[in-house]
Amino acid sequence: MTALIARHDGPGNVTVPGPRRRLTGLAVALVALLVLLVLSVMIGSTSISPSVVWDALFHPSADIDQFAIRDYRLPRTVVGLVVGAALGVAGALIQALTRNPLADPGILGVHAGASFAVTVAVGVLGVRDIQGYMWFAFAGALIVTLMVLALGSTRRGRSPVVMVLAGVCVGAVLGGAREALQQTNPDAFDAIRSWNAGSVVGRPLDLVWPILPFLAVALVLTFAVSGPLNAMVLGDELAVAQGVRLARTRILAIIAVTLLAGGATAIAGPIGFVGLMVPHVARWVVGPDQRWIFAYSVLLGPVLLLASDILGRVVMHPGEIPVGIVTAFVGAPVLVGLARRKRASGL
Amino acid sequence: MKKRKKSTTMTKTPLRRRGAPLAAALLSATLVLSACGSNGDDASEPVAKTRTVKADNGSVDVPADPQQVVTIGNTTLPFIDMGGKPVGVTEVSASELGLLPAEQKATFEAATNLGSSGDQVDMEKLASLKPDLILAQLPDSEFEQIEKQLASIAPTVFWGLDVEWKAFAGALSEAGNVTDGLGEQKAKFEKKVAEIKQAYGKIIDDTSFVNVDRWASSDPGTFSIADFGCVEIAQDDIGMDFPRAAAGEDPLGWTSLPFEQIAGLSKYDVITYPVDASGRPTEPFAPVVGTNTWKALPAVSSGRALGVFCPGNNSYGPVLQYLDSLETALATLPAKE
Repeated sequence: MTALIARHDGPGNVTVPGPRRRLTGLAVALVALLVLLVLSVMIGSTSISPSVVWDALFHPSADIDQFAIRDYRLPRTVVGLVVGAALGVAGALIQALTRNPLADPGILGVHAGASFAVTVAVGVLGVRDIQGYMWFAFAGALIVTLMVLALGSTRRGRSPVVMVLAGVCVGAVLGGAREALQQTNPDAFDAIRSWNAGSVVGRPLDLVWPILPFLAVALVLTFAVSGPLNAMVLGDELAVAQGVRLARTRILAIIAVTLLAGGATAIAGPIGFVGLMVPHVARWVVGPDQRWIFAYSVLLGPVLLLASDILGRVVMHPGEIPVGIVTAFVGAPVLVGLARRKRASGL
Repeated sequence: MKKRKKSTTMTKTPLRRRGAPLAAALLSATLVLSACGSNGDDASEPVAKTRTVKADNGSVDVPADPQQVVTIGNTTLPFIDMGGKPVGVTEVSASELGLLPAEQKATFEAATNLGSSGDQVDMEKLASLKPDLILAQLPDSEFEQIEKQLASIAPTVFWGLDVEWKAFAGALSEAGNVTDGLGEQKAKFEKKVAEIKQAYGKIIDDTSFVNVDRWASSDPGTFSIADFGCVEIAQDDIGMDFPRAAAGEDPLGWTSLPFEQIAGLSKYDVITYPVDASGRPTEPFAPVVGTNTWKALPAVSSGRALGVFCPGNNSYGPVLQYLDSLETALATLPAKE
């Protein structure tokens, strides 16, 4: 089950890259990530010299510029790293699970559930700070995905297509309910307007640590189901013949997607396109082996997110553009391009 | 002190349109009140006296002494502040409501709630109140959607958001016939401004100020250098030197600045920031005060960061409260030099 078979995909065969190319690509992605991590600490909307950055990290003092590094840029970079990795892997996982190259984590209702829960928390319960409504977002994502899972279950098992339809339906219903709540409570709308844009600004590390264990569990689950998912690409019957337990694999994958995307959304709000684009880039480099795609997505997700965030810091000085808007600007043309590709899937 | 172009704009909501100082002057100049009789043909019927007022929606014939007034948008709190008792209102934010004196709050709550905002007015409910006058201040685009419906119910006087607050207060009081308290409020305002100028003129001339703010709608981890709201009174009427957007540019306060730019406030002598009635930083602003960067600012460590209370800036009552708070804050400066 671990060996991947080259298969037909559209008009041509998929070429499976060799291990050397995969490892080289992985090293390049790792270097790119390390460079962006450094740049994310170095570059901001205020000019701070590299020596101050160095001192802030290794010779801390009460210098006012050092606070900017330690209190804002460093946490922001860590948030970008965690959220990017989570969204990248979640996207790869949902695309593999649904065999839909245009699927992203929001398709199972994760974003809709999180947004609805945050709207209720802010508009009805009066929660005002992100530390407070982060848990509502996480819980909303989990509950709604479970609903989608239940709605998507048929007597013949859980069909990815039915689950996607259920996700779209639940998302539409919750979207309408959220709109209604926001119409009747403009203050709530104002309070979560920025959260809905998707941003990594102003998220202290205290916000990230509680979510990390969930993300770690999800990553373990992801790699655990990568082999069975490879087999399922060949079709359910062949996968069963190879010993894959379809229902268990799908449920574990959905749990992993929910934890990853729900955790990322709880921290940063709904950020689109990262989960959509990153798996495609990974597939272009490594072919259809899910294990490699997941490994690449762990690195390429934060690469895309950090690069977008750095761009958003400098293009509208002295203000900034939330990273969710930057990824949308980058992602929209990519999405159009993907939709027009004949061999878009590679799944 | 750097000379700045006088602004006539005054609005509290950061995202709403403002500017166009000329509009304010035009409004105050064109508000025409002319008593005239109605043209009732039947001499036996009681003749309702009307006046003609000019506002942003043109000349409107309004009752000389309106009894059933409905206020929509930003007219509600100023009208109540002047002693008006509307029969129907649109909602105001909970924070604004919490700052009202008990009597004004009771007046607001006694009125019928017509909807959450100007574009959400329940027209059926509004008509059932049988108003004889509707006063509205809201964005032009929102008013355009409901103008015909409102006008079919009662005479409607409308102001956009560009109008300067003193001109607006005067026009609103005339249209709503609540002029009794206005003269007294204006005299108090002018006296207070003169007192502050006289007592702190030298400090004001030699000091660079910056006003910072944060709202419930601000992105986490961001603040703004606010150049609208009560600070415009300090700038325009008292002459304090605050940063302001260049002519034709968007207000500075519209730009959300990440917290790392708090360090940039070091270049100013004195910082003003929003506090509530008890002197504590407002809830949205509290995260700024809690940062290490804020605490490391020279103005903060030397006690030259002044909390100022701004309960509103659209009528004289709240503005007088603001001036009291500003005066108290300025009084702490000389001792800290």
